[in-house]
Amino acid sequence: MDLKQLLKKDFIFLDGAMGTMLQKAGLEIGGIPELLNITDPKLIQNIHEQYISAGSDIVYANTFGANRYKLKNESVEKVITAAVAIAKKACNNKALTALDIGPVGQLLEPSGTLRFEEAYDIFKEQIIAGKDADIIVFETMTDLYELKAAVLAAKEHSDKPILCTMTFEENQRTFTGCSISSMALTLNGLGVDAIGINCSLGPEQLVPLCDELLKWTDLPVILKPNAGLPDPVTNEYNVSPEDFAGQMKTAAEHGVKFLGGCCGTNPDFIKALKNALKDTAVQRIPSEKKAAVCSPSKTVIIDQPRIIGERINPTGKKLFKEALKSCDMGYILSQAAEQVNAGADILDVNVGLPEIDEKNMMIKAVKEIQSITDTPLQIDSTIPEVLEAALRLYNGKPIVNSVNGEEKSLEAVLPLVKKYGAAVVGLTLDQNGIPSKAEQRFEIAKKILNRALEYGIPKEDVFIDCLTLTASAEQEAVMETLKALKRVKDELGLKTVLGVSNISFGLPNRPIINQCFLTMAMTYGLDLPIINPNIDAMTGAVRAFKLLSNMDKNSVEFIEAYNQLPQKTQPTAADTSEISLSYAIENGLKDESAKAVEKLLENSDSMDIVDNILIPALDKAGEQFEKGKIFLPQLILTAGAAQAAFAVIREKMRTSDSAPVSKGKIVLATVKGDIHDIGKNIVKVLLENYGYDVIDLGKDVPPEKVAEAAETHKVKLVGLSALMTTTLVSMEDTIKLLHEKKIDCKIVVGGAVLTPEYAKKINADFYAKDAKETVDVAKQIIG
Amino acid sequence: MIPEPVNIAEALRYMGHKETEVSENLLSIISDCERKLLEAIKPEYTYRCFDIENTEKGVFLCKTALTLLGKDIKEHLSGCEKAVLMCATLGTGCDGLIRKLSVSDISGHFVTNALANALIEQICDNAEKEIKEKFPDMYMTWRFSPGYGDFPISQQADFLNVTDAGKRIGLYLSDGGMLIPSKSVTAVMGLSETPIKQTRQSCSGCSMREKCSFRKRGERCGS
Repeated sequence: MDLKQLLKKDFIFLDGAMGTMLQKAGLEIGGIPELLNITDPKLIQNIHEQYISAGSDIVYANTFGANRYKLKNESVEKVITAAVAIAKKACNNKALTALDIGPVGQLLEPSGTLRFEEAYDIFKEQIIAGKDADIIVFETMTDLYELKAAVLAAKEHSDKPILCTMTFEENQRTFTGCSISSMALTLNGLGVDAIGINCSLGPEQLVPLCDELLKWTDLPVILKPNAGLPDPVTNEYNVSPEDFAGQMKTAAEHGVKFLGGCCGTNPDFIKALKNALKDTAVQRIPSEKKAAVCSPSKTVIIDQPRIIGERINPTGKKLFKEALKSCDMGYILSQAAEQVNAGADILDVNVGLPEIDEKNMMIKAVKEIQSITDTPLQIDSTIPEVLEAALRLYNGKPIVNSVNGEEKSLEAVLPLVKKYGAAVVGLTLDQNGIPSKAEQRFEIAKKILNRALEYGIPKEDVFIDCLTLTASAEQEAVMETLKALKRVKDELGLKTVLGVSNISFGLPNRPIINQCFLTMAMTYGLDLPIINPNIDAMTGAVRAFKLLSNMDKNSVEFIEAYNQLPQKTQPTAADTSEISLSYAIENGLKDESAKAVEKLLENSDSMDIVDNILIPALDKAGEQFEKGKIFLPQLILTAGAAQAAFAVIREKMRTSDSAPVSKGKIVLATVKGDIHDIGKNIVKVLLENYGYDVIDLGKDVPPEKVAEAAETHKVKLVGLSALMTTTLVSMEDTIKLLHEKKIDCKIVVGGAVLTPEYAKKINADFYAKDAKETVDVAKQIIG
Repeated sequence: MIPEPVNIAEALRYMGHKETEVSENLLSIISDCERKLLEAIKPEYTYRCFDIENTEKGVFLCKTALTLLGKDIKEHLSGCEKAVLMCATLGTGCDGLIRKLSVSDISGHFVTNALANALIEQICDNAEKEIKEKFPDMYMTWRFSPGYGDFPISQQADFLNVTDAGKRIGLYLSDGGMLIPSKSVTAVMGLSETPIKQTRQSCSGCSMREKCSFRKRGERCGS
């Protein structure tokens, strides 16, 4: 017997709880149930047998938490091999044995500290140990990223069918915020065999969630709920086997194929379930097959124009190139945040620069951008190796930019798109370049689609870019692009992409050309304009188009975007233009200080403003803070207002191409093991305001990384922060390593639990009690 | 669990705000951050009640393999028949929001962090209220957390294990032994059938005494 045969049946019955049965048999609360595979195999076998005689077609081996992290000193291989053997013995060819794998028990980055690659290794070990099982099951997952690591490990080390279930709360989200649509889109793409929902709630609460899931997938669907909810005092669950079965019947009628029980259930539940489903007729409605991409918590359905932000790309951008070379993630992240705030639905990420290691930079960029925004990404590179590295680590379903009609490109890119379940942009060009006529571009689009289908990539995941040529050079080509776009949309039924800004290259008044072309293209059926969303004329055109074409129903989005919130009351002058820069900074008025500096820049030099207004205002605030005249919130508000002013100045310098003056570089890090980085972030802003270049290594930073950064960047000052008593030892280790390696720099330390005495004891050069004192130290050391 | 308005006075105290007067600007930032915070969080709590026995090393939780260690937890639970282990969290969404603000808005980053610190205490108060209702005839002690006094923070892992906090509310530990999501609390409360002589929460018994940020500013954490 195998899963293929089982799938011919209307319903496949899974088993019920293992843990509940073991606790009834005397397992202590918090004990490790998997150790019983070694110490009491008969007990486990007996539970499996009870489920099989109740009607289970598949039993889950007692391996849920049998991983390196949870078993600690016991061998994973030994425990899993034993568990699978017990289950197989109980099955005796009457049922299938599933290798059951639950979450590692530690949260992955960015919320937690477990790295994706480490999670992959942990799962890999379990999968190899469970090679004798018939099926691999991942269950009770709440983090899509962890599940992706698990599925990749299974796919790459086994050819067994894979079943995946995640645990959702009543708000249809997992604890980490993953939605049902994002789970379905991502797992459909990764090519698993069935997906579903288990644990957390009873069937009554989970049936609506299954209905939502059925809308997003054509895979067989699994439901394994708890026996209702547990009483926190007695730990008893509140749904009887009969009620459980009755509620499950609704799910079965709607098309759920795999049915079983989780916490609180026992063989009686499976028996009742099997009885209740006799003669049940199934009516499953096929899913709508929507074109969509996602991050774990945000799904973007491409059923109307969606903006792809183009700003994360070094082409023609001096500051961006500099940021890439110096690995300044802060700059790249600020570009991401700015575009999202301006209205981007998807962000294109291109970090290609000949001088840098593009693959490593892409990995870093994808991980870090995903840590600060849930906007889905479009991975943009010409190198397949870079694409693959990003596709592996991306959390959700991204777009690949791009493949083209050339055989070499199709063969290199499409298998990656298929393996990782992404969507792909197909450029209508091939080895002969860009065809001048719409018909030829249409033919290339058709070829790309057919090849994608051959690889098993669904049609809705192929987006076609008919390519914008420059109007000043090839005026007659403009309409060819739009004609091709319309044919691709109408005749092939594919979604379309277009980089818009290129149209106006070499012409005066570019914004008006760009905006007009964008509007024309949307009228011809453009779904995914790649634009600079920070330019309101462009984002506004998309919003207006959606309103006028009756997509933005009742103009809700448009009004939300432009109907400003009521003006905040300000402490002084009604007319904010009268507010001086120094007043705005002293009072921490962010928007006003940006406005004031813009006005000043009309007549004054940037450096004049910095030296004569900004720095004195910051000094004054620092001094007042020291004297206890103002407190931390005001100091930080001041820093935030100054930061906004500096951003305007930097932008001005960027357009005038003069590089900002740096006083020197400083490395900052929150030490290994510590994830509280607020203090370090405040220090960073203050140092940057004073003109220092901060190399921010982030939180949970190992000593080696600090030493490496201090060495490569030849810094004179390293700042370390720790917030917990438990992580002070990491701080000591880091200082020790910096001294051992004889790195010529001073070390300043800070953080809530530090004292000047302790700083001295661990051989730090300076103790700073707050951000202001860190600036004083920097002035003393660097000048 | 419906998010409630954040206790702003408490949040201001976490920010180190000492004046009675709060500027309009700060208030408007606070209200903006509060709105975003309440959208981002998914507060959860769970608790489990155990019969307890005193042992030489500490307090044993019946039907588990866990003994809560130290003389301080023993004193905290003295005279109690039961202990409730409680875990609460604001969820990963809160950490995500604070991370996002670290890139784009330093004031918001700082203010939201303080608001979240105040809010998690409010969630604990809610949990405590519910527990009291479950045991209307019993007296309850205040919340005592791993890391207080000589109650080792290294017991956090066992704490999460016996309350099944990972599965029930998505609360885990990092490699370095920190609670993740970061805005989370674990605490032990004792239940007794007879009135409890409450030892006051005081600095003298606190292991953070020498390093506490409140004390550095001449304040105290307890109200």
